[in-house]
Amino acid sequence: MSSKIIIGQYVPSNSVIHRLDPRVKLVTVFLFVIFVFFANNTLSYGWLSVFAITSALLTKINLKYIIRGLTPIWFLVIFTFLLHLFVTHEGQILFQIFGLPIYSGALIQGGAISLRFFLLILMTSLMTLTTTPIEITDAIELLLHPLKKIKFPVHELALMMSISLRFIPTLMQETEKISKAQASRGVDFKTGPLKERIQAVVPLLIPLFVGAFKRAEELAMAMEARGYQGGEGRTKLRELSIRRLDWSAMLVFLVVIIGLFLFRQ
Amino acid sequence: MKKLTALDLSYGAIFIGLMAIGANITVWLPFLAIPIAGVSVPLSMQTFFSILAGLLLGKRLASWTMTSYLIIGLIGVPVYANMQSGPAPFFGYTGGFLFSFIVVAFVTGALIENISKITLGHSITVALTGVLINYLIGVTYMYISMNTWLGLEVSYGAAWLSMFPFLIKDLGFAVIAGTALLKISSHLPSLHQRAS
Repeated sequence: MSSKIIIGQYVPSNSVIHRLDPRVKLVTVFLFVIFVFFANNTLSYGWLSVFAITSALLTKINLKYIIRGLTPIWFLVIFTFLLHLFVTHEGQILFQIFGLPIYSGALIQGGAISLRFFLLILMTSLMTLTTTPIEITDAIELLLHPLKKIKFPVHELALMMSISLRFIPTLMQETEKISKAQASRGVDFKTGPLKERIQAVVPLLIPLFVGAFKRAEELAMAMEARGYQGGEGRTKLRELSIRRLDWSAMLVFLVVIIGLFLFRQ
Repeated sequence: MKKLTALDLSYGAIFIGLMAIGANITVWLPFLAIPIAGVSVPLSMQTFFSILAGLLLGKRLASWTMTSYLIIGLIGVPVYANMQSGPAPFFGYTGGFLFSFIVVAFVTGALIENISKITLGHSITVALTGVLINYLIGVTYMYISMNTWLGLEVSYGAAWLSMFPFLIKDLGFAVIAGTALLKISSHLPSLHQRAS
């Protein structure tokens, strides 16, 4: 079962988008998510779509793979579209389906909202497809660094996230092992009322907890033995740097934003 | 403010992992998918683990842990229910439950920290309070999201009614969380000091 679970959706490659500094990608995607709400006509939506699709093509990732990654979203996109089709009553009646009138305003509004949703998800998934989770946690740590002033434990949280990325697959394997071990001892509640099913979780939880906490304590001991003292004075194996490629990417994005405000009504 | 130690960080990381497992527990325990109206609905144990985080780690570490859990999912690691990730789950009608985990962990942690001698009754009451906060925030968000950006007109009562079977399940898990707290803390001396 757990072999099907892929941690992170990162696809290794050496495309332009892959080589961008993760901070630049993070900020661009964040701003895009905000600015996409400013689009309000065909031209501005088209402009943003061109930007998003060009970025998708630049990643050199198989488009089929990107589309497949968006599968859970298709349902929501289509659902919102259909909902607007039947609920909105603006503009002229175009045609009727089973006696239900379809208005032109509904088509436009439904299309616009679905497109906005699609763009949001496409851009954010491009981010995770081209950046390793470790790079992203590094970028978050550096970007949130100023928050240290208000006692926000940026370094600690970033480290906690990196450790958990290492632990999640291990814990999942352990869960599988324990559930099989308990099944071999005869724990089996395939059916039965809710109460029994909930109680059946206990023989899984207790060994899982004890094992997990032991792991945590061993790791903490190992960290302390190697002199971990918190973030102060710690150096990094991978230093992030803003290069010419990143500056040009930021310039392109600035042009996209200026274009958006010129095209919108 | 006390600095987070290496032990705190490892416990936090472990709980992020447990949250990810709890969100997808039916992968390992298929019997936790309950048939409702002919459709098999997978149950999640996120509420259970967020309450337990509050009880075991205390309000400060637990709420930071839940914040990290949400960020990890946001940056694309499939740790949410049904192996989802990214910002989309926050926009859906169950997004409020995700946000509420931070509050749940904080409040249960704050409540348990104020009790000097923890009994079974205490820990179960605190756990049940956690579930109520979880659903209060989750269902209210559900109501607001449905009536605004999802464009569905649903009454507040109907929103509660649709989540009622899940509420029962989580109340059940909360009782186990309360009981487990005392069991686990006696197994692990380092947690025992923290828990009582």
